[in-house]
Amino acid sequence: MLIELEDVTKRYGTDAVPIYALRQVNLRVDEGEFVVVLGPSGSGKTTLLNVIGALDTPTAGRVVVNGVDISRAGRAELFGFRRSSVAFIFQAFNIFPGLTAGENVQFGIDVAGNLDADPARVLEAVGLGGHLDRFPHELSGGEQQRVAIARALATGNPILLADEPTGELDFTTGVQILSLLKEQTGDGRAVLVVTHNREISRAADRVIELSSGRVASDGPPPGGPAELSDLHW
Amino acid sequence: MRGLLLLLRWSLRDLRANWVKVAAIAVIIGLGTGSYAGLTSSANWRRLSNEASYGLLNVHDLRLRLVEGSTVSRGELEAAARSIEHSAWITGAEERVVVDLLVDAGTAERDILVTGLMVGIDLSGTGPSINRMFNDGGRHLGPDDAGEMVVVLQHSFANHYDLPDRGTLTVGGGRILTYVGHAMQPEFFLVAPEGQILFSEADYAVLFSSIETAQLLSGTDGVNDLVVTLAAGARPHQVAAELEAAIADRTGVGAATELLADNTAYRALTEDVENDQQVFNLFAFLLVGGAVTGAFNLVNRMVERQRREIGAAMALGVPRWRIAFRPLAVGAQIAILGVVLGVVVGIAIGAAMRSVLTEFLPLPVWLTPFQPRVFAGVAAIGFLVPFLAAAWPVWRAVRVRPVDAIRPVHLAGGRARRHRLRRLSLPGDTFAKMPFRNLVRSKRRSITTVLAVAAALVVLVGFMGMIDSFMGTIDRARDEAVKSSPDRLVVGLDGFYEATSPRVAAVTAAASVGRADPGARLGAHASGPGGSLPLLVELLDFGQAAWSPTIASGGTGGIIVTARAATDLGVGVGDTLALRHPVRTGPGSFSFAVAEIPVSGIHPYPLRPFAYMGLEESARFGIEGEVNLLNVIPAAGFTTGDVKRDLLGAEAVTSVQEVAGAVDNIREQMGAVTGILRVVGLAAVLLALLIAFNTASINLDERFRDHATMFAYGVPVRTALRVAMTESAVVGALATTVGIGGGVAMVWWVTRHLLAETLPDLAVEVILNPGTLLVAVAMGLAAVTLAPLFTVPRMRRMDLPGTLRLME
Repeated sequence: MLIELEDVTKRYGTDAVPIYALRQVNLRVDEGEFVVVLGPSGSGKTTLLNVIGALDTPTAGRVVVNGVDISRAGRAELFGFRRSSVAFIFQAFNIFPGLTAGENVQFGIDVAGNLDADPARVLEAVGLGGHLDRFPHELSGGEQQRVAIARALATGNPILLADEPTGELDFTTGVQILSLLKEQTGDGRAVLVVTHNREISRAADRVIELSSGRVASDGPPPGGPAELSDLHW
Repeated sequence: MRGLLLLLRWSLRDLRANWVKVAAIAVIIGLGTGSYAGLTSSANWRRLSNEASYGLLNVHDLRLRLVEGSTVSRGELEAAARSIEHSAWITGAEERVVVDLLVDAGTAERDILVTGLMVGIDLSGTGPSINRMFNDGGRHLGPDDAGEMVVVLQHSFANHYDLPDRGTLTVGGGRILTYVGHAMQPEFFLVAPEGQILFSEADYAVLFSSIETAQLLSGTDGVNDLVVTLAAGARPHQVAAELEAAIADRTGVGAATELLADNTAYRALTEDVENDQQVFNLFAFLLVGGAVTGAFNLVNRMVERQRREIGAAMALGVPRWRIAFRPLAVGAQIAILGVVLGVVVGIAIGAAMRSVLTEFLPLPVWLTPFQPRVFAGVAAIGFLVPFLAAAWPVWRAVRVRPVDAIRPVHLAGGRARRHRLRRLSLPGDTFAKMPFRNLVRSKRRSITTVLAVAAALVVLVGFMGMIDSFMGTIDRARDEAVKSSPDRLVVGLDGFYEATSPRVAAVTAAASVGRADPGARLGAHASGPGGSLPLLVELLDFGQAAWSPTIASGGTGGIIVTARAATDLGVGVGDTLALRHPVRTGPGSFSFAVAEIPVSGIHPYPLRPFAYMGLEESARFGIEGEVNLLNVIPAAGFTTGDVKRDLLGAEAVTSVQEVAGAVDNIREQMGAVTGILRVVGLAAVLLALLIAFNTASINLDERFRDHATMFAYGVPVRTALRVAMTESAVVGALATTVGIGGGVAMVWWVTRHLLAETLPDLAVEVILNPGTLLVAVAMGLAAVTLAPLFTVPRMRRMDLPGTLRLME
């Protein structure tokens, strides 16, 4: 088991006026799973991603990721955890504008110390073989997101956490990105995708639906995982 | 109206959100404009005060001196003035007796034994009408003091030694005089005796007496000096030539004239103001330039952050002027804050300068009114320049197409030009490459920051370099004057005497005198292809003397001049120059002759007038076998003070000058000036730090999302800091290089151009001490590199989830 959450709660605000982003969430994610975390705005899905990725700490409960209990870990430990266990893909891509595509990928390699990886090969794997020396402003949105995925892959970390990865992209490009993410489960990675787009959840192996910070449902999509070519939004 | 008020309130919120950066820029503007206002006000005060002081005391326009050792009957010089063709141009002419003498003004607490000058003036009637005296302690001289052993001390000397208003002193020959007061006289507002640098009040006592008193003390009943005032429109050079000719015709005695404009002290006081103003202008340009870059960078960053708001506003049809109002209001508010601070700084600096000036440049009239025009002008520049710098990014922002402005940053597209630098292949991992990539990506900000920090360093290196150069030149003068004889003294006699005469023997035989090398010193005038200038020619025995000048090139056999004199005359070793020199025509009388003298050598002494010839040339001057100067080394067990005291009683001795001590006193006097320059240097250091901090803060702002991404990937804060500090180090290195280069250029310009006009007789070398370079490197490189450390708390407190989702 790669990810385990046990009675995880995240509360903001004060005792007098508490705001619960997560309420007693229990879930498990194994290697090789493509999981979509679905929910409307304010449902807690991004908070869940941040807790799993150690960008945020739970108010209560236990979070064990890649064998590490990160619920009460110190700052330095959390930084180390992120270097070795997870890799993020953001809605706004967040690739470094001053670095080329190849150098962005190299960043992932340098951070994780995954010295076996080669930026050119990783970019090739995401369909950007000839874009090694391109800067982000020379790439389309879809290409930038591919670079972001390549950067995440270059870390070699077992868990990919993607927050609305297709949010800024058109339908066709979005499907391509989803396809790329789904492929990573073949290498034994767990991929968690956060989205509000129910259509995307149809392609998942498993859908965890959140509502007001609680897990409303957790299971395969109705009718099983759909083909990406069947998706429309 | 309500809409504008809303925009104004909004802009104030923007200001508060960036209060640290705003404060930094306001301080930069304030320091720059305030320093300029304070310094320029002080320059205006000096102009006003100079004019008032010289006007009050009716300073001469022309001074005529007979060749040393010569006198003529009283009345002859004034008669000569009345006899010239353009006598109508002369509004006043007064004879004087001016003699060198040794002065012992020692008290119970300290020894004060210095070379001095007695200026004997006509006290009949209401006293002198030319070069009047301003009493600032004790009483004036009056008609009853004629012929009495009563004098008034020149203010600077009395002030330096804190002498009382009344007391006694002893002059050469052991004669006791009573001083009854202190006075300022326009020839000596600054003390610059012949052959010395300025600021010599510690070593030079000027005494004012009646003509009769000076005649008694000098053993003559003639006069040897004439001061003249001229009518408006008169041509001073013509009057000078006619006077010299008239005196030569009437008396057979040679005379040399000096225009007031050529007087070292007068020129230092007046031209120095104008030259200082040029330095202040450069200083203000550099500092205000630093402020401009700060304002530009900050507003540029704010406009970038508001890009989508601006785009949305344009898409909604909001007029461009309304869109521009908010960031422009921020720019205006920053400028206003800076100007207000500048006024405060300006007034403070003005007050400090007032105190320094009145202490350091004693004038009878100091006018220090508040300079509203200066402050108004500076306030206008201090407001307009940063405001316009802030207006430029705003103007660019409102000209962007709304659709481009609305698009998220990461999708905004490739407007950036292809740059070779961007694609430069760099070694190392991404954290090694990031700083350079970031610099190229924000090249406008990188360049403006380099220039702004460099500007501050130019001021630092320039001002500190001026101190180094002046002090270094003084030290080299000392080294050359001292060489292997640190206790050497130069003893001047009141005339030319046979080397074996009793008057000379009184010196050589003194118990404290170990060695006395004979010599002679005469004033002359040299001309060459490049120009003409006065020289102080010293004759000595090069083979036998304990001290002789270092000959940098060439050798003896002709005249040896300083390198500066050679350049100004347009001559080199092997060339000849025309030397107009005195020739003795009879006992106590000299005329002038002109001779072509070969330039046989160049010596490195920084004081231009000093020239040397062999003692064997004394026949040329009609003084064969005679001396009026002795280079003395104290005997074993005796000090220079012992020699001075010993020779105080010697009849013919008019001066005993320690060569090392004179220079050391000048160094001490320069302390006040260098103190001001060091304060300016400190202000420059503070500016460099503020600019660096401002840039680091803006960089952090711009790269917040990049840092958040790095932290999300587990990159430690210290690594992100390392990247930021490397980027700052590159900026610092470039700025330091440019700053030091610019500073050296500034020192060169000041020493070779400005000082050459103010103090042409002092060849100041461009010298930069290792300490100055170290401070420049420490500020430019170390401080700038360390500036990102101030951003660490913000990095550590970063809200990662919020920042990563933040859409600009």
